Parts: sequence; structure tokens; C-alpha cells
Amino acid sequence: MGNDILLKITDLHAAVGDKEILKGIDLVVRKGEIHAVMGPNGAGKSTLSAILTGKPEYSVTSGSVTYLGKDLLAMKPEERSWAGIFLSFQYPVEIPGVSITNFMITAVNARLAALGREPMKAGDFLKMMREKMAFVQMKPEFAKREVNVGFSGGEKKRNEIFQMAMLDPTLSILDETDSGLDVDALKIVAKGVNALSSPEKASVIITHYQKLLEYIVPDFVHVLKDGRIVKTAGKELVGEIEANGFDNY
Amino acid sequence: MIDMQNVSPIIDKKPIIGHGRYLSSPVEYGPGTLIVKSGMKYVRTFVLAPSSGESSGVGALPFDHIVIEDNAFADICIVIFPGVSADIALPVDFTGEGSELFLSGTYVSSGSDKVGLSFDVHHRMPGCKSNQIFNGIASGRSVVTFSGKIIVAPDAQKTDAYQVNRNILLSEEAKVNTKPQLEIYADDVKCSHGATIGRLDEEAQFYMRSRGIPLDEAKVLQMLSFISPVMEHISDAGERASVAESLESAVRSVI
Repeated sequence: MGNDILLKITDLHAAVGDKEILKGIDLVVRKGEIHAVMGPNGAGKSTLSAILTGKPEYSVTSGSVTYLGKDLLAMKPEERSWAGIFLSFQYPVEIPGVSITNFMITAVNARLAALGREPMKAGDFLKMMREKMAFVQMKPEFAKREVNVGFSGGEKKRNEIFQMAMLDPTLSILDETDSGLDVDALKIVAKGVNALSSPEKASVIITHYQKLLEYIVPDFVHVLKDGRIVKTAGKELVGEIEANGFDNY
Repeated sequence: MIDMQNVSPIIDKKPIIGHGRYLSSPVEYGPGTLIVKSGMKYVRTFVLAPSSGESSGVGALPFDHIVIEDNAFADICIVIFPGVSADIALPVDFTGEGSELFLSGTYVSSGSDKVGLSFDVHHRMPGCKSNQIFNGIASGRSVVTFSGKIIVAPDAQKTDAYQVNRNILLSEEAKVNTKPQLEIYADDVKCSHGATIGRLDEEAQFYMRSRGIPLDEAKVLQMLSFISPVMEHISDAGERASVAESLESAVRSVI
């Protein structure tokens, strides 16, 4: 019954430069599940998301990661995206001069090309874009804006969820998506994530705070500390961490 | 050797180009002087590309000096394609009041191209505006030298002068030297200049790749967006699209 496994991380060690950050992570994510990875600053949360999406300056020193049974670590970042992995960035990057429309049509058509399919018709694409922007309550004029340039913190995060809705990923990884968000923005993000979840998909929510988990209820909560998962439990762990912090683990 | 295509029409139908000597003035007129006469408008884009069938060539403009008289307008855009070496020195003199100059350009150099660009804009009279923007990409072992000087004469009050030169280095071996200079002798003026040399932002590349855009395509997007402020200076939409299309192929050829 292994075929419902989306992501399998086995004894993952990873480093930035000479510094070992992840010191043996084991994690299995099955279809339909929502996992929360919580931990204090410096625990390795962002390194975990960087490794899963293939950020160049991070290196895996040992262990393995498979996605749908394939060696994820051998795949380029763009190949991971084509295979259905999406990362919502903690710090979304500005791309001066590139409009959101141009950015997204390039992304959507690159994936279709990789899957051997025809590019989307411009009309269909724009219609989809309007719908998804409305869904995350982004104003239509953002379609012409340069990607993330001059966006507020909340606008950047909404733009991440918009892109997630456009790309319709199988595995969504949200890296500190809640940081710096007010309650309204948080609700929009949560609505997006909840609407995109299905029995065939899964999410990994990486967060320092419990805030977002009031709106997205995880099936599993993991405490990441000093590069290891030191405790795994159900959603009740969120309240426990809220009350007592990370010191007990 | 060079296709010197005039891809943008001369907007004003009246005769607007003059050659020859005028007035006894400190401005030195020569056979290559382009005069934008009083009240006239000169708008042109120069595309410097190797001739069809050739992989390289030498590029030049049909004039080597511009004089702009009063209440005149000049908008010149220079687009230099890979394979072209050029040594363009173009001094500009404002000899009348209330005139305006847009001088823009882009270069995508490759191989062992040598591109030299030198623009001295001399504000001799009050109340003129000049706006220069040159954004270029250097790849291969190409060498780009950019020199731009804005000179504002003592009488040229209310001058508004701007110049920027931005460069992207695509390879370890490519070289760019850029030297922006200001010489201002009047006190009631607005002048600024700047120059940058950098590489394509890898954080942005990773962001795009994480959305499924292949690395090469991400670089193309970055380079085209880098060039696009220059493209906006080509006023005719059809011609802008045609230059943009050729530039996209050029950019793909240098990745």
C-alpha cells in the first residue's frame, strides 16, 4: 500500500557551505494529508523547504528524498514544479520588468510543453488568471504589475497563493506563509490552501507560529529542532506548543 | 556590410535634416552634422546588425554630430545586435532654447565584438531637456566601452539632463567599461546620471524555475525585461514589435 505516498524523506542531512543544518530528517507525506512542521528560528525549517525545491546553494550530504517514487534530489527545480511541487516562498522575490501575466503564462506554458501538450490559448489563460486573482482577492490591475515589485507583505503572500492556484500543485509547501500577515490576509491564504486541498494532494506547512493553523487544520504536527524532527503528533500539539513554546522538546 | 535599417519613420514630413555650416559659433559643424532645425522633429531608430549571410560586421551611424536648434525635438534609438563591432562617438549640441533630446539604445554583444559608445551632450542654451538611457548585455569575450558626458554651459539655466547606462555581464570573459560624467557650470539645473554593471539575479532565476520556467527561459525573461525600458523609446508600435522580436532571438543566441 505504498502507492499513496507522495513524499518520502529518509535520514536527510543537508548543509549550507560547511555548516550542517539538517541532521537526519525522516518524514512521510501521503495523499490527502496536511502536515505542519513547526520549530524555533534556526531549526532548519527554511533549509528543508529549500532542499525540497532544489535551491542551488544548499547541498544534501546524505539521505534520500523521493516524490511519487522518483528521486526528487536528481530533479531540477523546474522539473519539480512540472511534477506538481509548489513552494510558497517566505520571501517572494522581485522580478523587475516582468509582469505577473507574462510570468505566469511563461510558467504555465513551460509546464504544458514539458508534458508534451499544446500551449494555452491566450483567452483561456486570461480568463483563468482573472478567476484565480479574484479567488485570492487580488485586484485585476496586479496582472500588469511587475512580479512582487513594490508589493506589501500581504500582497506578496497573496501573489504566492495566486500562483499556487494557477499551477494547481499536487504537493504544496508553504514556508512561513503566515509571517507578517494580518488576520484578513491570513484568512485569504488559508481559504486558498483549503480550497486547493483534495484527497489526491497534500500540503506541508512550515511555520514558527500557530496562527495559520487556526485556519488550516493539520493532520500531523512535527516539531523541528536543531535539524531533527523531535516530536510528531496530531493537531493537539499546536496548542501545546502555543502554551509552552519549543523548550520542552 | 551593415544593414542600416531605418525601422522607424521620420514623423515630420517637412525636410528636417541639414548638412553644412551655420553661423559663427563655437559649435563645429562638419559634413557629418545632423541639424534638427528650429521647431522640427527628428525621430529615428537605427538597427545595426550583420548583413544577411554574414556573422559579423562593423556598424556606424550616418552622422557623427547632432545640433539641435530651438524648440526642436530629437528621438534617436540605436540597437546593436550580436556580431556587430562599432565605434560610435556622437556629440550633441543644443544651440537653441526649449528643445528636447531622447537618446536611447541597447546592445547585445557576443564573440569578440568591440562596441564603443561615446555621447557628449552639450547644453549650451537654457531650458532644454536631454534624456539618455542605454541598457546593454555583454557576452562571450566582447568588450563594451561606454562614455557619456553631460556638459551644462554657464548660460544653460533650467537644463534638465539625465543619463543612465546599465550593463549585464553574461560571461566571465566579457568586459564593460562605463564612464558617466557631469560637467555643470550653471546653478539652476536638474542633472543626474548613473551607471551599473551586474549579472543576472540568481534569486529571481530560482524563483522562476520553482514555478516551472526553465533556467534558459528565465534568463531570456530577465534580459528582455532589462532591455524593455529602451524599447519603450521606439514610438511606432509595429516597429517596436519587430525590433523586440529580433532582439529576443539575439538574446536567445547569447545564453
